[in-house]
Amino acid sequence: MATEYDLRMGDGKRVFHSKNQIMDDLEAGSADAADLGEISALSSNELEKIAEIIMTKSRMVGVEPGKEVPVTHDIGTLRIDGDQGNSGVGIPSSRMIGCMMHERAFGADTMELGHIDYSFKPVKPVIAQECQAMEVCQQNMIIPLLYGAMPNMGLYYTPDGPFENPGDLMKAFKIAEAQESIEKSADHLTRDMIWIIQHMMKSSSDGVNFDTTGAAGDGDMFATLHAVEALRKEFPEMYIEVGMAGECVLGMHGGLEYDGKTLAGLWPHQQAPLVTKAGANVFGPVVNTNTSMSFSWNLARAVTFIKAAVEASDVPCHVDMGMGVGGIPMLETPPIDAVSRASKAMVEVAGVDGI
Amino acid sequence: MSKEELIKELSDAIISCKKDNVLAAVEKAKDAGMEPAEIIEKGLAAGMNEVGVLFERGKLFLPHVMMAADAMAQGVKLLETDLGAGATEKKKAVIVNGTVEGDVHDIGKSIVSTMLQSAGFEVHDIGRDMPTKSFIDKIKEVNADVVGLSALMTTTMQGQKEVIEALKEEGLRDKVKVMIGGAPATQAWADKIGADIYAENASEAVKQVKEILSV
Repeated sequence: MATEYDLRMGDGKRVFHSKNQIMDDLEAGSADAADLGEISALSSNELEKIAEIIMTKSRMVGVEPGKEVPVTHDIGTLRIDGDQGNSGVGIPSSRMIGCMMHERAFGADTMELGHIDYSFKPVKPVIAQECQAMEVCQQNMIIPLLYGAMPNMGLYYTPDGPFENPGDLMKAFKIAEAQESIEKSADHLTRDMIWIIQHMMKSSSDGVNFDTTGAAGDGDMFATLHAVEALRKEFPEMYIEVGMAGECVLGMHGGLEYDGKTLAGLWPHQQAPLVTKAGANVFGPVVNTNTSMSFSWNLARAVTFIKAAVEASDVPCHVDMGMGVGGIPMLETPPIDAVSRASKAMVEVAGVDGI
Repeated sequence: MSKEELIKELSDAIISCKKDNVLAAVEKAKDAGMEPAEIIEKGLAAGMNEVGVLFERGKLFLPHVMMAADAMAQGVKLLETDLGAGATEKKKAVIVNGTVEGDVHDIGKSIVSTMLQSAGFEVHDIGRDMPTKSFIDKIKEVNADVVGLSALMTTTMQGQKEVIEALKEEGLRDKVKVMIGGAPATQAWADKIGADIYAENASEAVKQVKEILSV
């Protein structure tokens, strides 16, 4: 009987696969990405390399010396204190202590300050508090500290915002009205994001992280790219990171363009040049995990997409790695065996600049 | 023009998402003597299936799906007389869809509702952050065949289980198929709480509902 290796399904369940099964899944996963994105599949050497990483007989693995990459964190500020049954650990601490723990104890290379709602819109009424928090954190920290939030354009639709929900309009076949609502929401979102970050920059922020860009579809990305463009013009030296929400930009509008390119349906390697063109310094590509497929299948698929994004990007790519993305199983606290293997593959095969 | 060519023209017209193209193709097929049922099944419905595939692959987008669905409905209307009164009004099944209590996420659930609607189901989207009672009341009101329960957070997934428990208490569980979805939902979670359907995405949801209801 062939040696079997313990790995996981995309939902985290333990399974045992032979090398042949692993290789078959790697090939199929890479082929799926190549087919969808119209990009090159991984070579047999690259698939072998990922198989070696998967089959390593260790609980966790690490990159080869000299291949270390920066590790940045998003809402980690709140993860120490947070305890809502999610990945927070429930240790009473301020956001500043959360940031400082990441800097001084956890080895984060950059950090961000984020509001508990973690969307731009709810920050507007508490902007003074956020500015003060940023200033105090900056006085106590050395590593680059960005302000982070999600564009989350859904908050501009009814019942949360002033514009009629395009989902409801679409279901009533009011397609033009739905598109108009998306366009108006995008304008408001752009304006709000610029206003908030202007204030954070006055409070000595090192920059901004637009987290989960495109979560509400192409309008969300359209708004973000325009905000990036305006901020780059106003603050030529600031750091701007654009992290995505998913692998493919959802076409809620379908007709929105940036730099002559239709945003709907863009895959990571097509998103990267637009993010760069808008003025971002760092691009955070995402590949979603399919919970019904194996870790091998998901990882090869994710590496294939990300490798193409790295090749297409003129700015560093810091791949999103975590619960249900980057080949990692959909588990609240992602298991270290999968996280470390997926991260190593991203660095050594996809060639990412950071995580 | 051969029958195969007419069928392709019908299907292509749907994929073009243009109502005028669909109406013209339907008239042409009718004039050529094609049976209305064949025009719908082999031409229009086949085109809609292809639209679903293109949506899944990121080549067509939500507005296009809706335009294609609208065009198909208009095309079917042209065949109403030949099909008999009321034949085109019949929906495949009744579905109640919503996001469970405590969860304000709306977009994924709305896409699923739209895709199910465009596939010919009668969909009642009750919105987001919906208490268990609202699901039960709506299921009773519209005599639903399927209930869709969306949750985007691990902290709200429990709401999916609560609706299933409530269905049992109300004696409705055997009558109503339960579909769950949302980023943290998995097949294992569906098995654990006793849901009938788990779907990774909107296209998969449509496929699985059709399969379980054999429609």
